[in-house]
Amino acid sequence: MSLAPSLHRPSSRERQHYGRLPHQLPNSIRLRTPNPTLSDEAMSNASNNNNLGEGADAIAEEDPRAALFREHYERTEARLAAVLGGGHTSDDVATLDNGASSLSVTAPATHAHDARAAATPKKPVRIIDEDDYGDDDEAEEEDDTRTSPLLAKSAVNGITSTPIDTPSLRITSLSNKLGIERTSTPSSEQVKSSDDVRKKLQQDKTAAEDAAKRSFHTLFYTLESDRDAMLEQQKLDELDRQVENEMSGQPASAATNGVPAAPQQGTLSSTNLGASSLTLKHLIARIDAQRDAVHASDAQLRSLISEVRKNRSKWASEDRIGQEELYESMEKVLMELKAGEHAHPFLQRVNKRDAPDYYTVIKHPMDIGTMMKKLKQLQYKSKKDFVDDLMLIWSNCLKYNADPAHFLRKKALYMKKETEKLVPLIPDITVRDRAEVEAEERRLRNGDADADGAEDSEDEEPIMASRGRKAPSKGGKGSSTARKAPPAGLEGTPGPESRPTAPTLNNAVSNLKNEFLRADSEMEGSVNGFSTPPPGTLTPLGPNSMFRSGAPGSQADNSEADGTGASVSGLTLESEDADLDDLEYKTWKQVTKKDRAMIAAERNRLFRNDHLNPDEPAILRSKAAMRRWLRHRKHAMAEGSSEGPASALDGKDGVQSTAGETLAEGMEGDEEWQLPDYYDPVCAIPDLHERLQWLEDSQGHVIQQVEEYMRIVPKGQFLAPDSSLAKKVESNMRQMQETRKICAKIGIVKQMQLQSQMYQNQFQKYDPQPFVEADVEPMVVSEDGPVMSHYVCRAALQRSVAKVFYHAGFEEFQPSALESITDIAGQFFQNLVKSLGIYREVPKVKSDIPLTMPSGTTTSWMPRFTREEAILHALNANGVSLETIETYVKDDVERLGTKLTGMHDRMRSYYAELLRPALDNNAGPDGSGAFNDGSEQFVGGDFAEDIGEDFFGFKELGLDKELGISFSVPLHLLQNRMHNAYAAQNPSNVTTTGVLMEEPTKFEPITSQNIGSQIGLVQEWFLSRLQDSSAEELIEDDDLPPKQRFPKPRLPPTGKISSPRKRPLREQQQMARKKRKLDEEKDDNGGNDNGNVGNRGLGKPIGKLKLEVPAQKENQNVPEPEKDDGSAVGMISPESILAS
Amino acid sequence: MTIESALAWSTATLSPTSFLTPVIQMMFVSGETGEPSPETTTLIESIVQDQVQHMLRECSVLATRRGSRSISTDDLFMLIRHDRAKISRLRHFLQWKDVRRSVKDSDDKGGDAGADVGAGEDLAAGVMGGGPAGPGPEAGKKAKRAKVDLVWEVQSFFNEIAPQKDDVEDEEEEEMNYATLQRLKNADERTKNMTREEYVHWSDCRQASFTYRKGKRFKEWAGFGLITDSKPSDDIIDILGFLTFEIVQTLTEEALKVKDAEDLYKKESGAGEQMNGKKRKRERGLFDPPEEAREPVQPGHVQEAYRRLQRGNLKAKAMLNFTRNAHRAALKLV
Repeated sequence: MSLAPSLHRPSSRERQHYGRLPHQLPNSIRLRTPNPTLSDEAMSNASNNNNLGEGADAIAEEDPRAALFREHYERTEARLAAVLGGGHTSDDVATLDNGASSLSVTAPATHAHDARAAATPKKPVRIIDEDDYGDDDEAEEEDDTRTSPLLAKSAVNGITSTPIDTPSLRITSLSNKLGIERTSTPSSEQVKSSDDVRKKLQQDKTAAEDAAKRSFHTLFYTLESDRDAMLEQQKLDELDRQVENEMSGQPASAATNGVPAAPQQGTLSSTNLGASSLTLKHLIARIDAQRDAVHASDAQLRSLISEVRKNRSKWASEDRIGQEELYESMEKVLMELKAGEHAHPFLQRVNKRDAPDYYTVIKHPMDIGTMMKKLKQLQYKSKKDFVDDLMLIWSNCLKYNADPAHFLRKKALYMKKETEKLVPLIPDITVRDRAEVEAEERRLRNGDADADGAEDSEDEEPIMASRGRKAPSKGGKGSSTARKAPPAGLEGTPGPESRPTAPTLNNAVSNLKNEFLRADSEMEGSVNGFSTPPPGTLTPLGPNSMFRSGAPGSQADNSEADGTGASVSGLTLESEDADLDDLEYKTWKQVTKKDRAMIAAERNRLFRNDHLNPDEPAILRSKAAMRRWLRHRKHAMAEGSSEGPASALDGKDGVQSTAGETLAEGMEGDEEWQLPDYYDPVCAIPDLHERLQWLEDSQGHVIQQVEEYMRIVPKGQFLAPDSSLAKKVESNMRQMQETRKICAKIGIVKQMQLQSQMYQNQFQKYDPQPFVEADVEPMVVSEDGPVMSHYVCRAALQRSVAKVFYHAGFEEFQPSALESITDIAGQFFQNLVKSLGIYREVPKVKSDIPLTMPSGTTTSWMPRFTREEAILHALNANGVSLETIETYVKDDVERLGTKLTGMHDRMRSYYAELLRPALDNNAGPDGSGAFNDGSEQFVGGDFAEDIGEDFFGFKELGLDKELGISFSVPLHLLQNRMHNAYAAQNPSNVTTTGVLMEEPTKFEPITSQNIGSQIGLVQEWFLSRLQDSSAEELIEDDDLPPKQRFPKPRLPPTGKISSPRKRPLREQQQMARKKRKLDEEKDDNGGNDNGNVGNRGLGKPIGKLKLEVPAQKENQNVPEPEKDDGSAVGMISPESILAS
Repeated sequence: MTIESALAWSTATLSPTSFLTPVIQMMFVSGETGEPSPETTTLIESIVQDQVQHMLRECSVLATRRGSRSISTDDLFMLIRHDRAKISRLRHFLQWKDVRRSVKDSDDKGGDAGADVGAGEDLAAGVMGGGPAGPGPEAGKKAKRAKVDLVWEVQSFFNEIAPQKDDVEDEEEEEMNYATLQRLKNADERTKNMTREEYVHWSDCRQASFTYRKGKRFKEWAGFGLITDSKPSDDIIDILGFLTFEIVQTLTEEALKVKDAEDLYKKESGAGEQMNGKKRKRERGLFDPPEEAREPVQPGHVQEAYRRLQRGNLKAKAMLNFTRNAHRAALKLV
């Protein structure tokens, strides 16, 4: 708010005046405070106290540390009360001349220190007497000696330093800093506080960025401001380019304008080598230690080292002292301002076309672009120049646009405010030529001789400085030093006027304060001990000081700690104050402007003219961005989750992240990126499922996560559910199988009845296996839910369909039929489920009565259909009603069961009926007692046992033992019985044929007696037969036992025996051919036989199945009919063959 | 009587191939008390004819699929398989037909045919009149009721046929159909107050048949020889006779329902000038005009009834859900 005036402030009086201003912005006050020092003014108590008091208060307001401070304050106050009288206090209050209560609060503190100093007066004195600066064994001593310069300073200054020191924390840091650089002079105090402010500003900025970044993940910002950002950024870039172009013509002459430094031997450590001297510190220390052995001038060494060291900015110039720091910060400020939201109108020179009268109103136009140019041309000599220019811009604007409502005014005011905020970041340095400085140094050194005591002490300051650098490592002692400082001030020379320059360094040479500042800023760059006093401090004790500054590491730390510690409060306060409205959004805009502009520009290029530009590079995912995404995510997770499961997750993450981090580090430097992830969706990495991650345990073994999520599909998922309906269906099917078994037996029995002969394996065993549904084999899946494998599901459905088929009475079916029915059924069920889904997803309707959800919340929206309604609707839509389902279950399942049972009973009784006659007729004659008790075992089908083989598998079941049946009847016996019984029981066939034609009387058996009555041709043959059989008489074929009986060919319906014989098989032709001769010999027999057959065929027709039997026999025995003379002869009785 | 006049008219005027007389009689039995107009009866007759021809066509398709050239009773059963009630009635009818035949055989031998022949003639109404007019218990005892087995019944599951057991009483027969019982009850109601002459007429009407003693004409009418082979078995003709009666009955009942609904609507909404003379209560009261005076069903009623009976059910188009195919329903059997 009032920065600019403060810059111009010439005297402390003025400053005091300002100090009395109401303190809306504590920060601004703090900002102001350094300025007086910069303008070579001694600080007044008032302003200083003001500053510190405010600072403390501000801290107290928002910092937990405030409690500490207050405690300290109270302690000091108590001490003050103990030591000093009240009058003293009032005195001080008077000198302070500050109405502000905060000041009066701090006032006692200062007095406390004064009092302390007064209470320990001897110490400083002793220190002054002490001449042995080389003695570095006692840090406290050093501190004391270091305080001596304070004595030379005004007591006022001394006092000012004390209030800062009151809190122990600050004391440490303060003493560190002061010790390092200029000793604890008040001006250095001021400088330091300005550093603090700068740091604070920076920290504040980063803090704001952090906050913004954090908030980016919690807020969504629209993209609407991106376009503006892009345009502004384009303009900025334009400006930069312009400046660059203008600059390119004239190389930085200013950089070279320095006069080469006079060769002079001095400590290298005194050279300000910038930030990198840390890395070179051992080298420098070595060189310093053996300076005599090095044959090179200081300037040579310096340039050598400055060449070697890295990280120098573009502003660095060996010959222009202070330039690097100053320009660095100026550029930063300028960039900051330029990037600001409202900087747009001030970027370029005002165009005359836009404002014709501008240059008549404004005599000294200025703009940021011009400033950039000036900056690059190194035209700024000091902070003041720069700040003046800046202020000129805003004031020009305000002046030209006098209308208070003008929009540019607002912008200018804002920018001004911004500027005021940023200016403290710039160290107050005046750029000077090295030559000049060195000349001064030389002059100073020469003047050392006639310096008075005070100057002596100053002279020794570099040493002290170097000592001090080490001393503050003992923080506790620092405080004591600081406390001692005031008494020194009290006693010491009242020097503020005589040494208006920040008295700082030993030499006490004026004008060197910029050097100090530089050194100070060096310190900020964590340069430790070697950033030693400026060139002027060429003490003979240099080497010594080098040695003494052996352990500087902690100092840097301390100083940094100080920086952070001291500067927390004010700026945050201020920033909040400044951007009270919509701070987050502003911060967002500010912080992300550049990145957003970049992205928007990229997008803009890609989509220029509203269509996709094929020539533009695509937006690709980059490693860096992916890494960034990961990092953000980790942050977010770390912030968001502290619960149990989350922490477990984190643990896993942690394992992973280390690997990722190292990998990421190696690749490329991460550019900072402030945008939230949704600006860069390409680089987002989908989350890997926790269980799929590659994790290693502490031994480096891969953790097998398989067990955790692999699961075996539960059994029975592809089986019919164990419902009562399924059970009924199963039992029906079993019943059918049983009945079919009986049917098979009935078929066999019937076959036996018809067939006169049967063979061992004539009947296939009918032994159906019970139906067993096979489940899928044990299977491992990785996800929950049903197994979505269509072919398995289809197979299961197919099996169900097949069961329904079987249940409907189909014993077997064609695969194609099964397939198509399965498809239809699948389609039907799909339709069913689809329509169910439709009914379930009908929009909800409002209900009068609020419903209670399962989760406990109430809602007035209820589904249109209840679950039951939805199911019924879906069924109805697919033509299924509950009645049909019920009918199916009742009629087609349950009643079918009873019907099947009835049918089974009927079959059994039928079977028993079939068997019974065989028993009744033949049980006795065959003498088989097995069948004595009759029907029961036949009813049960046990007779199969008796056939001599385990015909129906009852042996396997152990039924034989159970029933005590151990004997067996050969199959053919049973068959005979059956057949005979059937033939006897069904005489109808026989009788009908008998009715048709009388059976002729039996031929008279041929005996040797009546052989003569036969035809002469056959008499011989009969005779031979008789002789062969050596029996009384020849037996007729019909009377032969069945086995030997020659089967008769069937007579076709026409009655003609014209059908040719069946063609014999190939392999049998050989045998037939062999026999041909024999047949030819006996050809004459054929006629006889033939007639015989015909007779019998008429007399006794036989079932058609018999045909097969003769055919087989004929094949064996009968010669090939083709080779015969075409007649139907060739029927040879087996006896004749045997005979031959 | 009006119905007699209608009958006279029909026999006098119509071609010999038409079946208006049995249609009128059947309608009377089915509850139509008025005198149906020739348009109505002709409409009904043509519907019946269409249905029969459709049946025959379907049957020949089924027979062809079976690999047979001539249709069998199983094909007819197959056509009406979804109407369990009708199947049950048909089986009942066929059983009694069997009984009648065996009784007739025994009568031919034995000679006392009296009541049984009458029962046999009552074949068309055999289902309904089975109780009162059917053969006596002695006939049932004499001729074992042959079970009419359907092809999809249990016995066809097995390749051996076991003889029927006597004592097996199928519960299907015990479970009389609700519709049948209802019809019997209605018939009882209507005949309760009839005079002797009226009852004779009623029983005459109950014997009306499309096929009885006019088999040749029926075959011609139904398109035997054109649609399928011209020598159907006796059973097929009998079944068709039964089914035609069922068709007329169903149509008439449905048409009466339509007419009732229409009358009710008129009474409630219109009650206008046209109703003032003819307005009467549905309930037959003491002073109601004789029921013959009631308005007969009009062709419109019959058409509406037919439309309702042809209405497709959801089951037929269930497989067309979620497809774009339009459902073209085949002609439904009434």
